[in-house]
Amino acid sequence: MAYSEDHIALAAEYALGTLDVDERAQVETMMSVDKDFTAMVEAWEHKLGVLNQMVGSVEPGPEVWDKIRAAIGHAEPQTPLVLPQTAPSIFAEAVEPAAEVAPSNVIQMSDSAKRWRSVASFTSALAAALVALIGIQLAAPDWLPEGLRPKARTQIVEAKAPAPAVPSAQYVAVLQNGGSPAFILTVDGATKNFTVRKVGATAEAGKSFELWLISDKLPKPRSLGVIGGSDFTARPVLSSYDADTVNAATYAVTVEQAGGSPDGNPHSTPIFTGKLIEAVPASAPAR
Amino acid sequence: MLTPAELVWLIAAVAKGDEAAFERLYAATRAKLFGVVLRILRRQDLAEEVVQEAYVKIWSSAGQFNPGLSSPITWMASIARNRAIDVVRKRGESSIEEEPAAMEVAAETPDPLARREMTEELKRMLECVGRLEPDRQKLVLLAYYNGWSREQLAAKFETPVNTVKTWLRRSMMDIRECLGL
Repeated sequence: MAYSEDHIALAAEYALGTLDVDERAQVETMMSVDKDFTAMVEAWEHKLGVLNQMVGSVEPGPEVWDKIRAAIGHAEPQTPLVLPQTAPSIFAEAVEPAAEVAPSNVIQMSDSAKRWRSVASFTSALAAALVALIGIQLAAPDWLPEGLRPKARTQIVEAKAPAPAVPSAQYVAVLQNGGSPAFILTVDGATKNFTVRKVGATAEAGKSFELWLISDKLPKPRSLGVIGGSDFTARPVLSSYDADTVNAATYAVTVEQAGGSPDGNPHSTPIFTGKLIEAVPASAPAR
Repeated sequence: MLTPAELVWLIAAVAKGDEAAFERLYAATRAKLFGVVLRILRRQDLAEEVVQEAYVKIWSSAGQFNPGLSSPITWMASIARNRAIDVVRKRGESSIEEEPAAMEVAAETPDPLARREMTEELKRMLECVGRLEPDRQKLVLLAYYNGWSREQLAAKFETPVNTVKTWLRRSMMDIRECLGL
């Protein structure tokens, strides 16, 4: 497939080694879902790799081999990355199509020349990739290269508000902060029903997690109810908001007294936040 | 040094879990991989750690090696080099202050090979790099061989980081065109 000059340059600079930590992680994320992009990066690695012929050989210490042998002692050779068969259904819907979808979204990405440079503004392609990854990160973080393992930083996934929801589009937000994802929010584009899956958060005794919708179209955060009491929470509350608001909002979780905020206002700073990304578009793109 | 064909065979055996083949592969390639990462990390201990991790990854992902796309040594060196770049980026720019001398000593091109020892691919790549303006040749080679960040390159060339970004990008696109990628 044809890639924009931005993508080509990104692949080349990854192979050259001049990207910063975040950009490298972005490239690795893209590689994990986009085989063509991976091939492009590897082509660059191969082309530049011939330069290593000029590098002199240096013997490492003899103990290095002992350490390698010890490290592989219990490891079986692994097959290429596969998604867990036992992935909960919530991942299945987000993960499998995401891999298919990414290449077409990559084209959209080229609309904005500089977008990939900005850590905070992942595009939908990257976001879809991220969703695919999260399933893996949660199920088996060790399968991922280190750059892709869950990071100890807040990751606000931002995507352009997709076109008004069409039937069967699925949106996902990963609510997280300083470590692993805490909640995964999925919204059905057609019904606006949402489901929250608790993945890594436990409220202190006597406290509850409450989910809020924060939108610049609304004067204050709107409660979407208490979540986290059980592994899944499903609600239709979002149906009263228009698609643009739902798509562009930030979703935040606060700690409230047991049972939720008594006055409709949040009482803590958000501890987990995230934005919706289109994980499964309404119509499957031709590929 | 084994021939590329022998290395391919060894990697295929490693993919099946053959530890003896892995040991031979290690013996045949360790000094090259260590040389590559040592240039970037410039610390024996860090370089050994990275080489160790690289071989563990080579062991676990040998099944993904595609001899149609890459030579064995390039594939292995990429794994090690990527890991070295990750480490050096995560360590941040402090390393530049730690070893100012090393920074100056590091030549743009290590160990020039006699031209007859170069593969055609290497000659082609060097030809394309050689078509860049002299400063940009240095820029690309310092980035590749020494793993320098844009900030380090900016300091070396006494130019803003954004200019370095532009140069790097332009240079890579020029190389691409020259190689006919």
